[in-house]
Amino acid sequence: MTLRRALSTRRGHRVTSQSVSFQFDGREYTAQAGDTVASALLAHGVRLFGRSVKYRRPRGVFAAGPEEPNALLTVGTQPCVIPNVSAPQLAITPQLITRSQNRWPSLRVDLHALLQAGSGFLGAGFYYKTFMWPSWRTYETMIRHLAGLGEAPGAADIAPPHVEYVSCDVLVGGAGAAGLAAALAAARAGARVVVCEREPQAGGELEFETATIDEQSATEWVSSALAELARAGARVLYHTAIVGGSDGLVIAHAEPGGGAKDNTVYRIRPQKFVMAMGAVERGIAFVDNDRPGVMLLGAAERYLARYGVAVGKELVLFGNHDRLYASAQRLHAAGMRIRAIIDTRGDVSAVTIGLRARLTGMGVECLGGHAVAEVHGAHGVRRICVVDLQAPGTKIFIECDALLVSGGWTPMLQAALHDGGQREFAAQAGGFVANAQPEWRTAVGACAGTFELSVLLTESFRAAAQLSQSVGAMGVVGRAPVGRGDTAPQLQAFWRSACTRAQEKRQFVDLQNDVTVADLRLALSEGFVDIEHIKRYTTLGIGTEQGRTGGLLGAAIVAELKGEPLSRVGVSRTRPPYQPMTLSSLAGLNQGDALRVTRRTPLHAWNQANGAVFEPAEYWLRTRYYRANGTDAFTAGIQEATQVRAHGGILDGSTLGKIEIAGADAAAFLDRLYLTKASTMKVGRSKYMVNLREDGMVLDDGIVLRLAPNRFLATTGSGHAEHMLSHFEHYRALEWSHRQVAITNLTEAWAVIVVAGPESRAALIRVLGEAWHARLSGLTHMDFSVSRWNGQTLRVLRASFSGELAFELHCQHGIAVPLWEALVAAGLQPYGLEALDILRVEKGYLVSSEMNGEATPQDLGMDGLVNLGNECVGRAMLGRPAFAEPQRPRLVGLRACDGKSVIQGGAQITLTTTDTHALGHVSSSVYSPALGQWIALAFVARDRAAPGTVLVARDPLRGTDVDVVVTSPVHVDSSSERMKA
Amino acid sequence: MSVRAPRYSAWSLLRGRFSGPGFWRPLWSGRQLQKAYDVVVVGAGGHGLATAYHLARDHGVRRVAVLEKRLVGYGNVGRNTTIVRSNYLLPQNHYFYEDALRRWETLSRDLNYNVMYSPRGVLDLALSDGEMVSLARRGNAMRLAGIDAELMDRAGVMKFAKELVPAGTRRFDIVGGLLQQRGGTVRHDAVAWGYARAASALGVDIIEDCEVTGLVTTAGVATGVETSQGPVAAGQVVFAVAGHTGAIGTMLGVPLPVETHLLQAMVTEPIKPLINSVLIYVHPHGEVYILQSDRGGVVMGGFLDGFPSYTREGRWSRLEDVVQSAVALLPQIAGLRVLRHWAGTNDMTMDGSFIIDRIRYDNVFLNGGWCYGGFKSIPASGAACAQFVATGTAPDLIRAHTLSRFASGHLLDERGGGPFPVRL
Amino acid sequence: MMRLTCPFCGARELHEFQFHKTAPEPGANPFAAVYERVNRTDISQEYWQHLHGCRAWLYVSRNPSTGEVYQVHLLGTQS
Repeated sequence: MTLRRALSTRRGHRVTSQSVSFQFDGREYTAQAGDTVASALLAHGVRLFGRSVKYRRPRGVFAAGPEEPNALLTVGTQPCVIPNVSAPQLAITPQLITRSQNRWPSLRVDLHALLQAGSGFLGAGFYYKTFMWPSWRTYETMIRHLAGLGEAPGAADIAPPHVEYVSCDVLVGGAGAAGLAAALAAARAGARVVVCEREPQAGGELEFETATIDEQSATEWVSSALAELARAGARVLYHTAIVGGSDGLVIAHAEPGGGAKDNTVYRIRPQKFVMAMGAVERGIAFVDNDRPGVMLLGAAERYLARYGVAVGKELVLFGNHDRLYASAQRLHAAGMRIRAIIDTRGDVSAVTIGLRARLTGMGVECLGGHAVAEVHGAHGVRRICVVDLQAPGTKIFIECDALLVSGGWTPMLQAALHDGGQREFAAQAGGFVANAQPEWRTAVGACAGTFELSVLLTESFRAAAQLSQSVGAMGVVGRAPVGRGDTAPQLQAFWRSACTRAQEKRQFVDLQNDVTVADLRLALSEGFVDIEHIKRYTTLGIGTEQGRTGGLLGAAIVAELKGEPLSRVGVSRTRPPYQPMTLSSLAGLNQGDALRVTRRTPLHAWNQANGAVFEPAEYWLRTRYYRANGTDAFTAGIQEATQVRAHGGILDGSTLGKIEIAGADAAAFLDRLYLTKASTMKVGRSKYMVNLREDGMVLDDGIVLRLAPNRFLATTGSGHAEHMLSHFEHYRALEWSHRQVAITNLTEAWAVIVVAGPESRAALIRVLGEAWHARLSGLTHMDFSVSRWNGQTLRVLRASFSGELAFELHCQHGIAVPLWEALVAAGLQPYGLEALDILRVEKGYLVSSEMNGEATPQDLGMDGLVNLGNECVGRAMLGRPAFAEPQRPRLVGLRACDGKSVIQGGAQITLTTTDTHALGHVSSSVYSPALGQWIALAFVARDRAAPGTVLVARDPLRGTDVDVVVTSPVHVDSSSERMKA
Repeated sequence: MSVRAPRYSAWSLLRGRFSGPGFWRPLWSGRQLQKAYDVVVVGAGGHGLATAYHLARDHGVRRVAVLEKRLVGYGNVGRNTTIVRSNYLLPQNHYFYEDALRRWETLSRDLNYNVMYSPRGVLDLALSDGEMVSLARRGNAMRLAGIDAELMDRAGVMKFAKELVPAGTRRFDIVGGLLQQRGGTVRHDAVAWGYARAASALGVDIIEDCEVTGLVTTAGVATGVETSQGPVAAGQVVFAVAGHTGAIGTMLGVPLPVETHLLQAMVTEPIKPLINSVLIYVHPHGEVYILQSDRGGVVMGGFLDGFPSYTREGRWSRLEDVVQSAVALLPQIAGLRVLRHWAGTNDMTMDGSFIIDRIRYDNVFLNGGWCYGGFKSIPASGAACAQFVATGTAPDLIRAHTLSRFASGHLLDERGGGPFPVRL
Repeated sequence: MMRLTCPFCGARELHEFQFHKTAPEPGANPFAAVYERVNRTDISQEYWQHLHGCRAWLYVSRNPSTGEVYQVHLLGTQS
């Protein structure tokens, strides 16, 4: 690796003399601290930075900001690469490794450049017309490998961004002339001001402004404005671009290094937003305008002023406005050699004539009424062909190695078009500017179409003062800054040079996507006349620079080709993000384990320490089984379930949803929300109850306890509590807002320990002590009792989900662990969800696999409840004819006819092994240790659901067909003797 | 009047290269709106254009107009995430979507326009054993119907989509998945333009900038429509307006079981191939479906924004949700950048399945309520709807997709979510 | 669409709220209340909940084509 040294230390206001080095395409280069990769490579005379996406044409740096279409590099080495990083924005950091993209085998020699030969028939949309035979698949792999820009990353080494919430009175987007003027007004008025500036420094175009502001030079004024803002407590955020947001929230993104790391996301809630994001320079279309060495004029000035880089030895400037001359003077004063200035304007003012005269006097040839027609030099500009616009036949050739183009400036409207903002065509601006905005936003400066310094200073200042007043900042703002000596650019629109039809294939409009004038013409000829269609068909403006350089240019050329005014053609719609934003920044802090909160029960630590294997249930972690009981879930589940039925066990049921409903109207309210009545319950009793959804389907079930005449505790499925809570709250508001119903979510207030099995009562009596003996002995099924244990409230409900004698203990988490440990010491083995599933399937109890939102209560065998039922939510929809039809599903049990085959959950049930008509499906299946075989719960069409019916459980996915017989869903202890012991 | 466009092929590209201007013709030539048609189709999206195409091609209906408020393909057909699949649970749905998938397989040749059908596989990921049971139920139903489906365990998923092999652990880990290999992607713009071109070649008038503002009726029969370009008489009228389906109900005085929601999608900068199938990752309160377009950008979408909207401007927090899920699934993409995002307007029905049925009048048809399943169904929707309109009888494939099914209880609810497009 | 102003909490970010459904026409029969939806592009009356806040249920009147919020009432108190 040759170490390339810059010839001498460059002077630019962003670089210091300190040396740094980095790699590009395997070679090491020196640079100065503050350099970007683009400036450093340009300083070394590197011209080739990449190749274009379709034709693989050699490309160099075109711009100095996010509008860069060509110089996209891959940063890092696999697996942690970051592709498509814009070289002009990439800061050099220690050990930085960069590579050019989209070329093979090298940047200099790219075999895919042979594609250029196909440019005649590889125009826009060519792939719609071919690649059909034999099928697209035949070509797809090759196309995908040719497409894309940078490498796919194998991994990412990016920390989540910092996220900051910012609230302010006035947000100013952009710290250029208009932005600073607005910020000053707002700060003086006493508003809380935040300014977002994409660059590392403020000032924007003022960096190159020769006019004075308030009797100071432009740069001096910027410094004093910043100092004043600092004194007023205004906040200026650098490297920070406004990227999007919605509904009054503005998102700004700071990416200081340009390499996707160390980013900050600002979530800004301003009262008012002043958009002063300026305008971006654009080019002009001429033949081979994409050659390395063709660059935006403003970019060349920036490389010189900021980094001390001369982008060429023999420069030519090309454009259509007066700023060409000011730029030329600056470049000349810095010692750059300017061969010529090509100005498309023939009919110009005296001012312009004077400007030209001055430059001619410095030895610069000024050609008015001329245009660059063509560039020569495939790997870098070496010569241009210039034509006289009045006499197109005459050609002048000028040798040069850099062509600096400026076709005008396109206002950055993106933020102004969002959330109800409008734009209009402004002839004097030559393009589209912001107009009607929602009342909290206003556009000033270039994005409002005001380019003249003195005017925009005043307008911006006043607009901000008004906005500040409207939010109550009434301080005296004084006089707006006064600009003197600025002149209007006197731009005359010029979009492309004339050329032959064949040459239109090499007049580039969107550099990144290789969209040419020929493509635009082709789109029109194929009937794509609307700019939205043209964008989609040609891919104009959909690249990483989001149409900054090519969007308006393309629209204007379309207008010329159509013979329509640009105001009619319009530009395609823009949307956030206004600058490409990394997925990591968008994801914010919710990455990795923080994607969603993890909820743990009070017994989690104990479970973890004692070999629990967890599984997620919504946001909760629940114990699936304990490692000590088996090598995997299947064996451990069987062991634990067997233990429960033989002796007993304890389960952490804390995730059970618990909602308290209280008040004088609580009972009547519950009657309305549950299928059967709660109002008939006695205090101290509980009841199994079912909720219907509005359409009659079973929504949830649970046990409801009557704690007091006007207090009930409703339990819901784990993970379902929030949904049920909102459901209850909705009906309370909708129908009961004038009544007394208080609803409180107590899911996290009560830990729940399930104690189940034949030895459960005895163990519980031993643990809870004599004070509880009589209560527990006398507790009948579905009763509950409330008292205390170890100084805290304990509620014991006798209820069972396992079919065994069982109790649910509700306690606050302070005593959860001691109680649990005491129960373990009393000989009860903890069991998990795997075992619970076995136990409940054996008993035909339902979970979400059965209550899946598709089943009516009758489908689930709850006919009895329906008959008892009252006019609850959902009842009215149960009478629909489909629900009484014979093919309506019914909950049944299934067993394998051979007594041993495995029945799989998700199997479809048919009459025979060749039938394709499904009668239902297996919703839950387990191996039952109690019965020594696989059992299932299933849905089967009503008219085939009689016990004893033989059907087939079809599982083509796993290649099995099992003959099954319909049984009652209650497989074990159908009379519930064990539970009611 | 049909306009002869050159037949597309590699040879035609070569010829075009060396021919003068005028070799390529407009895909659907500018036609004049006539005073009367046999059938007026409202909406030049995928469904409207496909219906018109099939009316002309399969049923010889001579005078068909497609009236479009804005531009061909401006609506959802140009805004979706390009996924095609037939991995539906219910027979009333999966036979229909399978019909569509079979048509996707040959559509490029049928239309002579490359729609780039890419059967790269659609993989639904399961994050728990319970989800595996749900996937198995769906996959087995598909297999019974003769539709391809494969259930994979974790190892199988990691082998199929190597980019899923995690460097660390995921908050919600992958336990397995259900793959439909024949599912995949189709280039969405090509579908609209391809159908428009083919329909136009068969004599269908496609009229843009023509908004239908009302239905004209006489004695209980529709006789035509009012438009922004004047009245048009019609023997039959088909409304295929996707996100504006609800508004059509309002216009016709028929309250519909439809709620209009906004759905966002986004794409990153283009990179070399990374994701070679369509991955669907649904975790508690979050979901993402993610794929890579042939141009190289990573395309992703998620759940609805969550409230009725016609603005086509999504809310930022939903963008963040989808990206969070995408980065959780594929952490290696964290450094890629979102370039563009857009939104469409989804007509969500109260059971999540579509409606193709008469609406209020015997000669007026509604083709809508497509929820998330609009794009993938286009070829089948066009064929079935055209048959319905031309013959007066709904073909078997759509017989269950009536407007009246909500009242009768014959719901087609794949998710079990009930009449709530937005889950509580 | 701007922020929703909760009658209890004031103007809050949109993501604190959850939409449930559009409100049925007054006097709608049970089927219509469950299945039919009003689909007007100029105004939409909706049920929302301040889910990540005070959990109040709200009756919101807004314009679904522009996002403008016209009125927010506590559900059950709207006239």
